[in-house]
Amino acid sequence: MLEIVKRVFEIIKNFFSVMDRAHRSRVTELTAYEERELENIFVLLLLGSLAGIPSPPAFIAVELFPYMEHELKVLEARSKEASDALSELAGLLDMD
Amino acid sequence: MKTIFFTGKGGVGKSTIASAVAWQLAGSGKKVLAVSFDPAHNLGDIFGVQLSDRKKRFEDTLYLEEVDLNKASERYIRENIALLEDVYSYLKPFNMERYFQVLKYSPGIEEYASLTAMEELIRGEKEFDYLIFDTPPTGLTLRILALPYVTLSWIERLKRIRSSILEKRYTIHNINGHFSEKGVKLAYNEDEDMVMKKLKSIEERFIELQKFLKSENNSIVVVFNPDFLSLRESERLIDSLDELGMPIRAAIDNKYEESLSELAEEIEGKLLGGKGKNHEIELLRVSKQGRTGEATYELDENLASIFL
Repeated sequence: MLEIVKRVFEIIKNFFSVMDRAHRSRVTELTAYEERELENIFVLLLLGSLAGIPSPPAFIAVELFPYMEHELKVLEARSKEASDALSELAGLLDMD
Repeated sequence: MKTIFFTGKGGVGKSTIASAVAWQLAGSGKKVLAVSFDPAHNLGDIFGVQLSDRKKRFEDTLYLEEVDLNKASERYIRENIALLEDVYSYLKPFNMERYFQVLKYSPGIEEYASLTAMEELIRGEKEFDYLIFDTPPTGLTLRILALPYVTLSWIERLKRIRSSILEKRYTIHNINGHFSEKGVKLAYNEDEDMVMKKLKSIEERFIELQKFLKSENNSIVVVFNPDFLSLRESERLIDSLDELGMPIRAAIDNKYEESLSELAEEIEGKLLGGKGKNHEIELLRVSKQGRTGEATYELDENLASIFL
C-alpha cells in the first residue's frame, strides 16, 4: 500500500516538474533565440572578412578563437537555417 | 625611459637621422637602444656591423637591433596554433600549422607583430634611457601607430555585444536554473566567460600602450627633404599623426642645401607654418652629406639636444 502511495506521489511530482520545466523553457524561448542571434552576430563580426563585411584586426579573431567553439557551432547551425529564418521566427511567435 | 619614433617617406633619410640621434645621445652619456623596424633594414649598414633581432652592443652605451618582422609574425602565429590545438584537440590530426601559415599574409598581421615587438621592447628594456625606433615607410608606420586606436574601438563594440549575450544567458539561467546547450555548460558571468576575459585583457594591454604612445615620454619625429613630393607625404603624415593624438616633437629637414634655401623655406613654411596647430613642432635642418657609408651618423648638427 505504502509502495503504491509512494509511486503515485512520485508520478505527480514528476508531472509537476515536467510542467514547470516546460513553462520555464516556454518563457525563455524568446530570450534564448535572441541570445543565439547575438552569438551569431558576434562570431560573424569577428569573421566578417569571410562574409565581406568590415572586420576587426585579424589578431583579435585569432586570439578569441580558442574559446569560441560553441559560437562557431551556432554560426554553422544558423547558416544552415538562414534561408528559413522567417518560418523559424513565425514558429517561435506561434503564428499560423 | 623615453622613446623616439623616426617617421617619413621612404628614402628621406630616417635611418641616417635616427642613427645620428642615437649616436649623439649615447655620446652624451645616455644608454641608448636603436631598433630598426624597416623590413629593408639599413641600421647595420650605417654603423658597419652585422645586426640581428637580438640587441648588440656597439659602443659603451649604444646598442643596436634589427627586428625581423617575418620571424616576429611567425612566432606570433605559432604561439596561437599551440593554443588552438590545446583547445580544439580534435583538430590535431589536420595539419593546422600549414593552414595557419597562410595567416602570416593576412592583412594586419605584420602591423600587429611590429606593434607587439615594440610593446615588448618598451616593457622589457627599461634599463635604457632612450629607445630609438627607425620605422618602415609612412603607410605601414601609420597603420602600426593607429592599431591601438582601431583595436580599442572594435573591442568596445565586441564587449558590448558580449555583455548582452551574457546578460541573456544569465536571465535564462535564473528562470531555468541552468544554462546549457546539448550538455555544454556555458558561462553567464563576466568573470567566468573566457571570451570576455580575453577581450578585457586585450583592451587593458592596448589602453596602456596607447597611453604610453601619447605620453610625454614618447616623441615622434617627421623627417623630410626639401622637395614637393616629400612635402605632400609629410603633410599627410602630420595630419594623420595629429588625428591619432601622437606627440610630434620635431620635423627634420634632411639633405638641406644652401643653393636650395628658398625652396626649403617655402616647403618648411607650408609644412609647419600654414596650419597654426603645428606651432609646437620644432624645425631642424640637416645639410646634405657628401660622405656615405659608415660615417653618416657622425653629423655636424646637434640633434640630440631637443630630446634631452
